[in-house]
Amino acid sequence: MSDLVELIDLKRYFGGGGNRFTGVQPVLRAVDGVSLTIRRGETLGLVGESGCGKSTLARTLIRLYRPTGGRILFDGQDITTLPDRDMQAVRRRMQMIFQDPYASLNGRMSVADLVAEPLEIAGIGTRASRRDTVAGLLERVGLGPEHAGRYPHEFSGGQRQRIGIARAIALDPDLVICDEPISALDVSIQAQVVNMLEDLQAERGLTYLFITHDLSMVRHISTRIGVMYLGRIVELAANAQLYERPRHPYTRALLASIPVADPGARRPATPMRGEIPSPLNIPSGCRFRGRCPLATDLCAAQEPALQDAGDGHLVACHYPDATDPQQGETT
Amino acid sequence: MTLLSVQGLQSEFRTARGVVKAVRGVDLTVAAGEVLGIVGESGSGKSVTCMSILKLLKRQGHITAGKALFQGRDLLTLSEAQLSDIRGDEIAVIFQDPMSSLNPTLTVGAQVIEVILRHRKVSRAQARARAVELFDLVRIPAAESRVDAYPHEFSGGMRQRAMIAMALACDPKLLIADEPTTALDVTIQRQILTLLKDIQARMGMAMILITHDLGVIAETCDRVCVMYGGLVMEEAPVKALFARPSHPYTRGLLAAVPDLRDGMRQRLSPIPGSPPDMADPPPGCPFAPRCPAAMVHCVAERPPLFIATDTPRLGGGQSARCWLMHPDAPEVSP
Repeated sequence: MSDLVELIDLKRYFGGGGNRFTGVQPVLRAVDGVSLTIRRGETLGLVGESGCGKSTLARTLIRLYRPTGGRILFDGQDITTLPDRDMQAVRRRMQMIFQDPYASLNGRMSVADLVAEPLEIAGIGTRASRRDTVAGLLERVGLGPEHAGRYPHEFSGGQRQRIGIARAIALDPDLVICDEPISALDVSIQAQVVNMLEDLQAERGLTYLFITHDLSMVRHISTRIGVMYLGRIVELAANAQLYERPRHPYTRALLASIPVADPGARRPATPMRGEIPSPLNIPSGCRFRGRCPLATDLCAAQEPALQDAGDGHLVACHYPDATDPQQGETT
Repeated sequence: MTLLSVQGLQSEFRTARGVVKAVRGVDLTVAAGEVLGIVGESGSGKSVTCMSILKLLKRQGHITAGKALFQGRDLLTLSEAQLSDIRGDEIAVIFQDPMSSLNPTLTVGAQVIEVILRHRKVSRAQARARAVELFDLVRIPAAESRVDAYPHEFSGGMRQRAMIAMALACDPKLLIADEPTTALDVTIQRQILTLLKDIQARMGMAMILITHDLGVIAETCDRVCVMYGGLVMEEAPVKALFARPSHPYTRGLLAAVPDLRDGMRQRLSPIPGSPPDMADPPPGCPFAPRCPAAMVHCVAERPPLFIATDTPRLGGGQSARCWLMHPDAPEVSP
């Protein structure tokens, strides 16, 4: 079986609780019915604007959040409601790299201790053998033995991200979720980290879920890409298909918004109007219709389902073959 | 006509770790109506340069040398009172994070009105009318009622529009925009850049745009300064910079970004190493330790800024702080 992860109509809502003093709190539908698969060995890119639910999706996938609805299959096993004790063994196989390595590393632990921690918790090896493993991991991510005794504040952002990566691969996971791993890094360092992630994937057969808002980098690194909008996947396709023939008007608008590092490049005539609505108050029908140049009465009445438009190119739009009247051509 | 001319600017921060030499001799000029981009990575000195011009450095920050001539007057010698007449009037600034530059306890309109009343002899009603007009200008919908909203009632994009409205309140001759779209989503960034560029051209205002994003530079600027290690490493008209980058650092930066049009899965070319520690910068060229073309001399002596008339190796209007531009240096193909 080639699917490592399968999500079926996954939902994660926040709020909705409350008591007789506070009244019922509004429900925030952060992830609102996502179905997708992550194939073994691939990099699935997940893009979308802030608040679209991409980070919540990742955190629900590894059960940092309890799903509100739907199912999560990991390597064929349904982990949706797996008890915490059984979850521990599964979690070893799924690791996460965060955006801000400074916030995700305990500043009072040395680098060697930070990288050894996952091994210790999993009860792997002896103290001495762990020391060798840690040295090997540090070397792999480009840090020397002289760095082992130092603390996170002594490192640059790029080096800290390397420590985060060493921690994530320490237990030889199957799946690594990279949540905006390069967004906080300088341009010259981003390429170093991305190259390292690609090398590690080739060496260790890792599967990546790569979450980012950087549409240039996601194209570079991903095998397939999913576009999220307001808690839902609106388009999911192989890398080249998505960039060369985007079928959802939101994807087209996103791609047209990327600033191109070429002063002679053609710019879109008009930027996309409006902003992403609040997930507390999701529009009826198609969630994108308020900003969509193609929207009709049908879009207000009925939410389009994510459907295969041919060759595995999934799109959730009533008019996947129309061209946008307002947007200029995408470059 | 030169509007702003910065000459030999040096600024430093006195910290517990020692003296951080953030800006180490920056020269730049901005002509009236021109958009100058300053691009560089964190710690390159791009923001400190601009904050020094307005004497807005934090407490540990000191300007140790240089001039900043604005319409012939040296801003660095003015008193605080004289400067605050200029700030918000002839020179305005917008920052990356509009939430931290807006007062959360006042309505957005009140803050715009305050700027107008500070610099113009008008009634409160006239100032309010002007605020509504400005909200319209930056395309905040329902301007008349949104003027009375508080910052937390605005989205990130709308807050940045409000900041732009405030900056434009007194028709500045120069707008300094410090990473104005970095905190915004890409579709909102596109809206704000289009708006800024449109207003800038319509009002004939000069602008300094500070960013780390080469795409933003390519789309908005007329001329570009590339900063690294507290120095301007290369300056060029925008087309020349992307077509014929002359400094190895500029070439490295351009090569490190994936090219969206060339498809996928080509290995990226990072710049090895990391930026210099400005508390202890290298004695020669700050980029020498990471430079693929570094020569013995690069480590020993800081290169001067070569201009096109010094050397056939630079195109018109281009200048570069690199020993490779020296007529006696070996030719290196990019």
